[in-house]
Amino acid sequence: MVNKEKPRGRIGRGLRIGKLGLALTGSYLGYQLQNLFLGEQERPERRKSFNRKAARQIRVELESLKGPAMKVGQILSTQFHLMPEETLSELAKLQMRAPGMHPSLARAQFKASFGRFPEQVFRALDAEPFAAASLGQVHRAVTREGQEVAVKIQYPAIRKAIEDDFKLLRSAALPARLAGHATESMIAEIERGMLEETDYVNEGRNIELFRKQLQPLDYVRVPTVHWNLSTDRILTMSFISGEPLPDFLTNREPSQEMRNRIGVQLVELFHLQIHRLHTLHADPHPGNYLIEANGTIGLVDFGCVKKFSAGFIEIMQAFEERVWLRGEQQCQRMARLIWGPGILVKPRLAREHLKHAIAFYEMLFPGLTGSRAVVDFGDTKILKTMFRILNENLRNKTVNPEFAFYARAEMGLYNLLHLLRARIDTSAILAKFESNRGAAVHNGEPA
Amino acid sequence: MTITRKKKARRASPRAAKPGRRAQNKERTRKEILKAALELFSKKGFFRTTTRQISNRARIAEGTLFNYFETKEDLALYFFEQELAGLTDWYQSQTKLDRAPLAEKLFAIIHRHLERITPYEEFIGAVYLRALQPVSKLNLLSLEAHELNVRYLRFIQEVLREAEEAGEIPKVGDFGAYAFGLFHLAIITYWLQDISPGKENTLALLDRSLKIAQSILKRGTWEW
Ligand SMILES: Nc1ncnc2c1ncn2[C@@H]1O[C@H](COP(=O)(O)OP(=O)(O)OP(=O)(O)O)[C@@H](O)[C@H]1O
Repeated sequence: MVNKEKPRGRIGRGLRIGKLGLALTGSYLGYQLQNLFLGEQERPERRKSFNRKAARQIRVELESLKGPAMKVGQILSTQFHLMPEETLSELAKLQMRAPGMHPSLARAQFKASFGRFPEQVFRALDAEPFAAASLGQVHRAVTREGQEVAVKIQYPAIRKAIEDDFKLLRSAALPARLAGHATESMIAEIERGMLEETDYVNEGRNIELFRKQLQPLDYVRVPTVHWNLSTDRILTMSFISGEPLPDFLTNREPSQEMRNRIGVQLVELFHLQIHRLHTLHADPHPGNYLIEANGTIGLVDFGCVKKFSAGFIEIMQAFEERVWLRGEQQCQRMARLIWGPGILVKPRLAREHLKHAIAFYEMLFPGLTGSRAVVDFGDTKILKTMFRILNENLRNKTVNPEFAFYARAEMGLYNLLHLLRARIDTSAILAKFESNRGAAVHNGEPA
Repeated sequence: MTITRKKKARRASPRAAKPGRRAQNKERTRKEILKAALELFSKKGFFRTTTRQISNRARIAEGTLFNYFETKEDLALYFFEQELAGLTDWYQSQTKLDRAPLAEKLFAIIHRHLERITPYEEFIGAVYLRALQPVSKLNLLSLEAHELNVRYLRFIQEVLREAEEAGEIPKVGDFGAYAFGLFHLAIITYWLQDISPGKENTLALLDRSLKIAQSILKRGTWEW
C-alpha cells in the first residue's frame, strides 16, 4: 500500500499532512531517544519495534505525498540528531521521486520542451527508461551521428508542482513537531535548491565544470553534454558505462585489492573537490557512482553542486594544519569558526565540542598520530563511532551550516567506503593534498 | 485487442463507403475548401474570415461554396469529422499501444488530438464560444453535432471495452465513454488557456488525472 496514488490538490494533501501529524503526535512523539547509533543489543527490542512501526507509518504517509514534504522528510533524516535511528532508516528510504512517465508521456514531454519528437532528432530512443531520476527518468538513445547517450527527461510541470507545494508547506499545515525543526529559512533554502535542480541547463554547466576540473583524476569519467539535444527540461549526455556501486559489489564480488583501490579513488575524488575545487558534487548516493570492471568511476548527477565559501575553507585549513596543537587561542579560533562566536561564552562546551572534532579527525587519519595508518572502513564499530561523534558535533544549533553540509557529505563517503569494506591509508592521501597544493594527483594505490 | 481493429470498416463514414467518381470529386473539393479555410482561420481568425475569402482561396465561386457548406459552422463540423476520422485511423495504426495500460491509451488519444489541432488553436477556441450558443449547429443539441458525438463515443467505448475485457477495469458501460468525452472536453478547455512552456501543464494534468481515474476504477472506491 506504499504506492498509493498521490492525493490531488491542496485539500487532499492537507488531509494527508494532518494524518501525518496524528501519526507523529500519537504513537511516535514522546519518544526522545538520545543515542542514535547504538548497537542493537544496547536497546530493548520491544521499544525498537514500536519505533520502527511508527517510523514506517511516517514514511508511508510522506511517500504518498511525493513532493516537497517528502523532500523535507528526507532532509530531516539527515538531521540525525533529531530522530531515533529507526525513523532515520525509514526516512532514508524516501527519495523525492516524480511519477514515472509511460512512453507516450515521455515522448510528449520531449516534444513539449524540445519542439520536436525524439524520433525526429535521434536515430533511436528507448521507449522505456533505464533509470529513474528524482524529477524524471533517464532513457538510452543513439544520436544521428551514432553516439550512445543518456537522455534525462523531466516530468512535466515539476516546477509548478514544487512552487505550489511549498505554498502549502508554508501555510503551516505541518505538524508542530516537523515545523519546529523546519524553520522558514531552512524551507526557503530547500525550495531554492529544489527549483535549481529543475533547471537542467544549470546541471549541464555543472557537468562541464566538473569534467574540466576532474581531468587530473584519470580514473574518473564524467559525461559530456550534448547541448544541441538539451533544454532546461531535457539533458542529453554521453552514456557512462559501469554498474552502480552496490550492483557492482554484488555482481562482481571484487577482490579486497580492487575494493581498496576504488576506496582510495573515492577518497581522492572527495579531497580534490574539497581542497582544490572548493566545490562538492553534492549527492553521495551510491547509485551515482558507476563502476567499471577495471575500477574506474563514472560520475553522474550534478543537479545539486555546492560551492564552499572562504569561511568554510578556513575551517578545513585549520583542520589540515591541526591548529589545536598551537595552543588555546587557536583552539578558540577554530571553535568560533565552526560553532559561531556564541560558543566562546561557554568555554567548557566549546572545549568539549572541539575535543570530539579532534578525536574524529585523528580517528580518520590515524597515520597522523599513531603507528597504524590504515583505516578499515568495513569495521562497523568505527563507522558507528564516527556517526556518533559527528552527530554530537552537529547537535549545536549554531553550527556553521556549510560545515554541517560537509559533514553529511563526508558521512556519505564513509558509507560508500563501508559498503566497499575498503582498507585505506587515509593519511597518505591527505598528505598528497597538503604537501602539494594545486598540483595534479595521480592514480594512487594505497601507499 | 482485436475488436477495435476488426471494426475499422464499420467506423468509416458512410459517405466514404462506396465512393463513385462524382462523390470522390465532391469530397476532394470539400477538403480543398477546408484546407483554404483553415489557412485563413489561422492567419486572420475564425470570425474575421469571410466566405468570399475562403472561396477565393479555394478557387471556386462563392455560390459554389454554399453548395458545400451552408455556413461556417458546417465547415467547422466537417473539420471535426475529419479530425475524428484521422484520430481513429491513427489509433488503429498504433500497434505499440496494444499492450499499453488504458491510462496510456487514453493519454495518447487526447495528446494526438491536441497535436493535430495545435495549428488551429484560435479556430478551436472560437468554435467553442460558438458551440455554447443554443442555436448553433455546433451545440451538442444539434443533430449534426450529435451524430458526430455518437461516432466519437463509439470509438472511445471500444477502447474502454478492450480494457474491460482484459480485466483492467470493471464494466463501465456507456457511462465510461460519456465521462471520458466530458473529460476530453475539459482538457481541451484547459489546454486552450494553458500558457506554460510547451503547454506542459496540460500534459501533467492529463497524466495525473487519467492515472487517478484508472486507479479509482480499479479499486472501485473514491477513497485515496
Ligand atoms: N550519463 C549517464 N550515463 C549512464 N547512466 C546515467 C547517466 N546519467 C544518469 N544515469 C543514470 O540515471 C540515474 C539517475 O540520474 P541522475 O542521478 O542524474 O538523476 P537525479 O534526478 O539527480 O536522480 P537522483 O537524485 O535520484 O540521483 C543515475 O543514478 C544513473 O544510474
